[in-house]
Amino acid sequence: MLAQNSSDNPASSSDPQGKQMRRPIGLSDAAAPLHGGFIGAGAVLLIAAFGTDYIYYTTALWQWANFSAWLITAGLILMLVAVLLLLIDFATGRAARLKTSSFILVAAAAVLSLVNAFVHSRDAWTSVVPQGIFLSAVSTILLVIAGARGWSLTMSRATGGRP
Amino acid sequence: MRMTSLRPVAALLPVFTLAACSPGAGDPARQYGPDPYLPEAREYLLPPMSVPKAIDWKAGEAPTVSAGLKVEALATGLEHPRTLYTLPNGDILVVETNSPGTEAYRPKDFIAGSVKARAGAAAKGGNRITLLRHADGDGKPELRTVFIDHLHSPYGIVLVGDTLYVANTDAILAFKYVPGVTQITSPGVKLTELPAGRLDHHWTKSMTASADGSKLYVGVGSNSNITENGMEVEEGRAAIYEVDRLTGAKRIFASGTRNPTSVAFEPQTQQLFAVVNERDEIGPDLVPDYLTSIRQGGFYGWPYSYWGNHVDVRVHPQRPDLVAQAIKPDYALSSHVAPLSLLFSEGQHLSPAFADGAFISEHGSWDRSPLNGYQVIFVSFMNGLPVGKPIPVVTGFLGTDNETVHGRPVGLALDRGGALLVADDVGNTVWRVSAIQPGS
Repeated sequence: MLAQNSSDNPASSSDPQGKQMRRPIGLSDAAAPLHGGFIGAGAVLLIAAFGTDYIYYTTALWQWANFSAWLITAGLILMLVAVLLLLIDFATGRAARLKTSSFILVAAAAVLSLVNAFVHSRDAWTSVVPQGIFLSAVSTILLVIAGARGWSLTMSRATGGRP
Repeated sequence: MRMTSLRPVAALLPVFTLAACSPGAGDPARQYGPDPYLPEAREYLLPPMSVPKAIDWKAGEAPTVSAGLKVEALATGLEHPRTLYTLPNGDILVVETNSPGTEAYRPKDFIAGSVKARAGAAAKGGNRITLLRHADGDGKPELRTVFIDHLHSPYGIVLVGDTLYVANTDAILAFKYVPGVTQITSPGVKLTELPAGRLDHHWTKSMTASADGSKLYVGVGSNSNITENGMEVEEGRAAIYEVDRLTGAKRIFASGTRNPTSVAFEPQTQQLFAVVNERDEIGPDLVPDYLTSIRQGGFYGWPYSYWGNHVDVRVHPQRPDLVAQAIKPDYALSSHVAPLSLLFSEGQHLSPAFADGAFISEHGSWDRSPLNGYQVIFVSFMNGLPVGKPIPVVTGFLGTDNETVHGRPVGLALDRGGALLVADDVGNTVWRVSAIQPGS
């Protein structure tokens, strides 16, 4: 009776010793990608810059435009760190393959934000209105879409090919 | 509604094109005089810039002077000399000074700091006044002393009667002056405070006195390029003050002058004139710096407009009512030359060509490519107003490659013999330009 029941389990035919069953779920020899957290942190700052741009647009209080300039600069620095970590992830085998659509969304937001850093280096009103806040808004939309799919831009071996 | 929703997109298009098709700078000659060429204002991702590297004058090197003139170094090794002033006994005062230091508010401000360092503009000022006694006219001062020490970013200086007034960045100080003294150690008495504060972006306080000595006139610069530090910090700035010399009571005499770096009275008409440094970052040929007569109660545009009623869209909210009142200046000096000193010639000591008019030092800036300024010019006057094209008098501060700079002219004065003195705050030198004597 017992022998017959075990043959009903499809896993048992490919894994007669049951090794896979004994490994706890979520552990792997391959480590998780490093870059995802930095993408998320950078994205938060770039999205926040849209918020401060909007407040500047409604109040014309100069300090909000300064906040935007700092948020965009800091967001880009974190994105740069994320790029370096992404390369490390590929070099060390943490990442299996790129999630192309997420990568394009984040890369586009980063390029627009780089342009936006220069727009925000202008003086007074036109450092934000209209081009600066427009770029912040587009970056925010791209990053929110990307974020909904998770901040990691790669499939990782650690999660069996899932993000 | 549909058009409105498309407007941000249309506004964005220039962002991606302007790096590729940024127009070159025009000929500065088109921007001298009462009716300068004014191109359309533009905005940039990276404004046109060119930062010359400061390299010391080598032994024997000197600026170039026009025909019939010679130049020699009267004093070297000074600490950022800016303003020059000749006392009645012929003693020459050299104000050694620089900005009290501003705070970095934006990522951009850190970049501006390194630009200044490369161009030799970040050196610490001496915060003192040095006296040079040069009575025999041989080109070598017999005496050099620290005249007044421990000042706070001083700039303007004027003697009225037996009182010497020094405009620190935050106050006018009065010192008792006895003819012939070579040092003043008593602390100055504060006549009145001047707008300074934590930011103090345009920190220089230029100063002159009316002919009867009853009033002092003080140029106070704006606290920003174009209000990017908020309107609150512009209270009482970008203006020329009239200060009652006896009581210290002050009022704004004229406003809208972005950075009035030198004020002086035209000797024939006793009309007050100023040179004013205009705004940056809307193009290599905007906005021309200018020389203008200053009318009591006059408004000269900053920040809302330039050269009369040309609106600056970077200012918000805008003020059409003030733009309508804005006075068009008398004489454009071309863009980004940074005029820092205005000196009426008072006779023809150097050349008959310089009998009636004003010398103007163009310190030069880095907000333009190719660079403009870095010379001393002469602008002729007729019937009390500037006319014609300027004559270059002292040039050669900029290297021939346009990428290095040996010196930048700042303060101007005439010494008792009528020679033109030029303070050079990168070369840390005072140059003396004099006529070549026949037979010498």
